[in-house]
Amino acid sequence: MLNLLRKDFIALKSSLWMGLMFLTVFSAVFIPKHSSSVHLVGIYTAFATLSHATMIDVKNQNHNFLVTLPISRKNIVQAKYMMSIIISLVSVLASYGIHMFATSVFPVLNKPELTVMDIIGPAAIVLALASIYLPLFYSLSKKGTSIINGVFFILLLALAQPTAMFMNMINENRLHSDPTLYLILIGIILLFIVSYYIAAVLFTKKEL
Amino acid sequence: MNVIEIRNLTKTYPEFTVDQVSLDVKQGYITGLIGPNGVGKSTLIKMMLGMIRPDSGSVKILGCKMPAQEVDIKQRIGIVSDDCFYYEHLTIRDMKKMIAPFYKKWDEQKFNRYLEQFELSPKKKIEQLSKGMKVKFALAVALSHEAELLIMDEPTSGLDPVFRREMLDLLADMMQNERNSIIFSTHITTDLDRIADYIAFINRGKLVFNEAKDTLFERYAIVKGDSELLDSDIRNKFIGIRETTVGFEGLVDNRQEAEDLFGNYALLDKPTLEDIMYFTAKGGRIHA
Repeated sequence: MLNLLRKDFIALKSSLWMGLMFLTVFSAVFIPKHSSSVHLVGIYTAFATLSHATMIDVKNQNHNFLVTLPISRKNIVQAKYMMSIIISLVSVLASYGIHMFATSVFPVLNKPELTVMDIIGPAAIVLALASIYLPLFYSLSKKGTSIINGVFFILLLALAQPTAMFMNMINENRLHSDPTLYLILIGIILLFIVSYYIAAVLFTKKEL
Repeated sequence: MNVIEIRNLTKTYPEFTVDQVSLDVKQGYITGLIGPNGVGKSTLIKMMLGMIRPDSGSVKILGCKMPAQEVDIKQRIGIVSDDCFYYEHLTIRDMKKMIAPFYKKWDEQKFNRYLEQFELSPKKKIEQLSKGMKVKFALAVALSHEAELLIMDEPTSGLDPVFRREMLDLLADMMQNERNSIIFSTHITTDLDRIADYIAFINRGKLVFNEAKDTLFERYAIVKGDSELLDSDIRNKFIGIRETTVGFEGLVDNRQEAEDLFGNYALLDKPTLEDIMYFTAKGGRIHA
């Protein structure tokens, strides 16, 4: 598992600037205009980085290389799911950090007060998206994955407003301790686990 | 002892079928897997490596079952293919950093020695390597983790003659250790004429034979003679026959019988692997 994560970091090493670029661009776009920018910057950066990482794999027909190494296909899938958790946490925390910095340096931005839910919420949304995206990545061909990346990008644009509204509703109505919210979070974790098992089965059966 | 034991392996595609192939690869020898393009050699190798799931049949490598013991098997084998899928944007050094930790018996010094021998700079990006250089890199990786079995799928198809010879010498070196074995799929049969001990011939998805190369050359013969020596019964003795206006050339699989049949009236030659492959694949009568 560690070797596979290491592999992903080596593969991404030369394009780490892409993650920083996503963070900078989305921050510049959302922070001045959007009250829910802390969520959107995190979600967009995380998903763009995840799909960039999978595109590097697809472009290099990485699965054909990985199956020659002494690792099981299950482990390959496990590592990618772990990678998606790391990417979402780092992106969401980076967005949180940028917003803390922005609100202290530019109080005129008039950003809402940051809470733990501003980290957990976007991270959960990214994991929910990854739960749908990753099984498709493991079952589709090179062309299919490119199409799925495009579809998800459009989906993300369409979901920006509802996400902002949902997160604002939580903040405004002070629903942070509402049990429904915790049920949703548990539901997302379960979805993520089920998604892993589906992706593992699909990839184990996939012919390369 | 067999390093590979394949039993009744079957895979059906709309275009062709690998049909009930059973094959043993002996430890301590080089086995050449030959056959024309598209007859199922690569499919068979992919099934051995778990890249393609067979419809039925079983594969055992180094005494372990595929795919149940896939990880243990892959620690002990090296894979070299003409389709080397590495990260194009990375350097050889980065790729090595990526690959080496997966192997328990990785030998860094050996790897560096092979890079030097193959004139591969660790700073060079994979995308800058020619097909031949990629095969060299794959070979360096395969030979640096003490692989007991090398599985090579068309490794020489993109190589210049100089490196092809060099590679064959390297493989011969590897075979100094009697524990090591190689299965080498190719349609360039001259490579196998040089180094193979056993030849397995696949045609139209079926195993035609798997025999020691020397036995094969003793058993098969190329018969050349005048057309008047042929009649329909004699033609049926040939696996494949090529007839011209002045004579014929054909392959028989029983040299002794051919000697008895033609005596001094025809010329009997030792066939090359290419002859065996050509006449078997074509079959019947060929008019030139």
